[in-house]
Amino acid sequence: MAAIRVDSLTKTYRVPVRASGLRASLRSLIHRRHRDIRAVDEISFSIEAGEVVGFLGPNGAGKTTTLKMLSGLLYPDGGVVEVLGHTPSERRREFLSRITLVMGNRNQLNWDLPAMDSFELNKSIYRLDTAAFEAARDEFIELLDLGGLVDKPVRNLSLGERMKVEVAGALLHRPEVLFLDEPTIGLDVTAQRKLRQFVAEYSRRQGATVMLTSHYMADVVALANRVIVIHHGTLLYDGDLAGLSQQFAGHKTITVTMPAPPPDLTRYGKEIARDVDKVTFEVPRSETSRLAARLLADFEISDLTIEDPPIEEVIERVFESEVGGDEETA
Amino acid sequence: MTALARLYVGWARIAILEQFQYRVANYFYMIGMVAEPVIYLVVWSTVARQSGGSVGGFAPADLAAYYIVWTLVRNMNIVLTPFAWEQRIKEGELSAELLRPVHPIHRDLAYFGGWKFVVIIMWLPIAVVLTLVFRPALDPTWLEIGFFSIALWGGFFVRFFALWALGLVTLWTTRVSALFNLYFTAELLLSGRLVPLSLMPGWAQSLANFLPFQWAFQFPIEVLIGRRTTSEIWFGLGMQVLWTVVALGLTALLWKRGTRRFAAVGG
Amino acid sequence: MNLFRLAWAHLKVGSMNEAQYRVNFFIQIFQSALALGTGLIGLWLVFNQTSDLAGWSAPELLAVMGVHIIMGGVIQTIIQPNMARLMGDVHRGTLDYALTKPADSQLLVSIREVHIWSLVDVVTGIVLLGVAVTKMTRGVGWIDSLGFAAALVLGAVMIYCFWLILTTTAFRVVRVENILELFQGIYQAGRWPVGIYPLWMRGSLTFLIPVAFAVTVPAESLTSRLSTGTFMVAVVFTAALVVVTRIVWRIGLRYYSGASS
Repeated sequence: MAAIRVDSLTKTYRVPVRASGLRASLRSLIHRRHRDIRAVDEISFSIEAGEVVGFLGPNGAGKTTTLKMLSGLLYPDGGVVEVLGHTPSERRREFLSRITLVMGNRNQLNWDLPAMDSFELNKSIYRLDTAAFEAARDEFIELLDLGGLVDKPVRNLSLGERMKVEVAGALLHRPEVLFLDEPTIGLDVTAQRKLRQFVAEYSRRQGATVMLTSHYMADVVALANRVIVIHHGTLLYDGDLAGLSQQFAGHKTITVTMPAPPPDLTRYGKEIARDVDKVTFEVPRSETSRLAARLLADFEISDLTIEDPPIEEVIERVFESEVGGDEETA
Repeated sequence: MTALARLYVGWARIAILEQFQYRVANYFYMIGMVAEPVIYLVVWSTVARQSGGSVGGFAPADLAAYYIVWTLVRNMNIVLTPFAWEQRIKEGELSAELLRPVHPIHRDLAYFGGWKFVVIIMWLPIAVVLTLVFRPALDPTWLEIGFFSIALWGGFFVRFFALWALGLVTLWTTRVSALFNLYFTAELLLSGRLVPLSLMPGWAQSLANFLPFQWAFQFPIEVLIGRRTTSEIWFGLGMQVLWTVVALGLTALLWKRGTRRFAAVGG
Repeated sequence: MNLFRLAWAHLKVGSMNEAQYRVNFFIQIFQSALALGTGLIGLWLVFNQTSDLAGWSAPELLAVMGVHIIMGGVIQTIIQPNMARLMGDVHRGTLDYALTKPADSQLLVSIREVHIWSLVDVVTGIVLLGVAVTKMTRGVGWIDSLGFAAALVLGAVMIYCFWLILTTTAFRVVRVENILELFQGIYQAGRWPVGIYPLWMRGSLTFLIPVAFAVTVPAESLTSRLSTGTFMVAVVFTAALVVVTRIVWRIGLRYYSGASS
């Protein structure tokens, strides 16, 4: 049985519409006009236990709404959602004890007290027995290199340290499903990396399913073996990262390094970058090996690299492909 | 001078627009605030009825008049709380204000002044309801209404500058809550807010004469309900002017000294 | 029962939180002293002019004041802080955390915060009550004392229900500071026995904002004025309020979660 199953999931928001100006505001007192926004429009996917899935989409695409429906915070307007065999919106105790939600810019640990005190609170809420609680706590302290951080008031920690203790606290009850909403937002590179490593390790050890939304491609590339792309509430792509490039970016890049300053190579293909000793081409996928072979044959090459375009670029193209609708998203 | 006047009008206008936006919040506040005088009124009316019809020279209908006018005067003398300075310093607003070419007191005065117009309008329906319920003995002459209008604003100015000056103490130390609470307690008892001063013991009344509190509270009330003779009214208006000047002087002194210290110590 | 274990855990954390700010303790003591002084002065002024107020003697009114302060302390310690936090959570989007925990959400949002320094008021009120009781000509019997304790608990529960209903229904329209000011203004009416107010006020202070049940009724029990009828009304009304509060909370949650039905 899939850990997460979503079928034709739909969520519509009713938003009041009002133009600016005095006359319009008076009119709206009598006649309220509304617009229905389909935040999530019949999306379907299925995630097995142990998968780590990146959930991508621009702001307002419906990511957070979907995550909220999966964690039981929102009632869907249509379709089916099932997590660990439960209907999330029923918010049963057994369901809530097996999941966790972490939102990047919103803390739940007590601000003025050391994290350890908040951990004890979670122990009580999740009814953990002391042995299990201490084992988890010690494991996470080690994995995240928390050391004395848990004994300092949370407000005295740096942003990165705060996020680490937040995540540790959120996993003490060893949930099987993790919903992470922009967990690395605002963190520096080192902190991001540490957090990613931890999540990956936890998921591996626990066999936990992770659904992660992020704007940082590095998160997705490092953690997720599968991405789901959503825009304007609809599913655009569901598969692995490599496939994403393949489907939406019809080209690759070839970068050649020459010992001597390279001459004009425009007849070989589209040059997109040029340096003292390097030239980068953008080439249609089908042409890749042919161009590479020609360059190798015609010139003295010290280095040649064939790459997919940067994932951010691919994502941008995916989003741009849905034109004319940005004003409608909330 | 006209530039400053234009600034005042501008700020007052913003205050009116903003506070009208917050009318629900304003009404919640006003209704909660009306509870206080109504409680005093009921208690003292009960005492009056039990004491042969009047207490301290006030019959129940007089008490009703006193406390109903109280609600307007109270709304008018709500000004910048001295507690606001702690936040201004902490949030860096004070430093920002010090960089501006206009003294911050102008904006506060203009804002609260403008707000009072909204307050007066919102108060009218409340006054109607209270009058219908408690039947006050209120029958002012046109002269009394005229004097009252002046005394009402006079009370506003007295309290505005007094509390502005008090708040400046925060420039020296942030441990001010005890001092402020003490001030407000003294004011509660010696301004005519809790009870008309004639119901306080003699020594308290004498003490009150040396303090500014009653000129922002009891004096305007008694002007409208007809308990002051014309000469007493002129005297009272003079006292309002006097105390405003004193408070202004104190403000100027404390501001100069305080900002110098603040700039030296840092925000 | 797990309910108590959870409540106790939160109480501990909440208290630890507040205990850090020791200066608040002294500020609270000073403020309580000022409030007590003002209250006593008010009482003294009244009794300068008359020997009793609507049949209540001076010690009896002192007892009313004592109950008023005790109840005020309870409200400031555990009821208001949680309601303020609930509103804050809704505005900042952090209520989601409380809703994804495997514990009853209403319980959770009602016990998270504890403003322990307001317990100073509870102590002050108890002391005042003790003084008042010793000065009362009529003694206080066992039944009166039990009735007092029961009425106090019922009153506190009613105030809690009132606050939660108001917070749940009004959070979109007003900020908690406005509700706070409104409540604090009206709560002052409880300093005096509710019987002195005109009928329409008495009704509002009983069934709309249960100040009468929170202060006057316990005081009535202590001064042998409480009729069994009134007590039964208190019991029934509390039970009804608890049920209504639960329903309102559930509806509020469904609304918050965007349930269309």
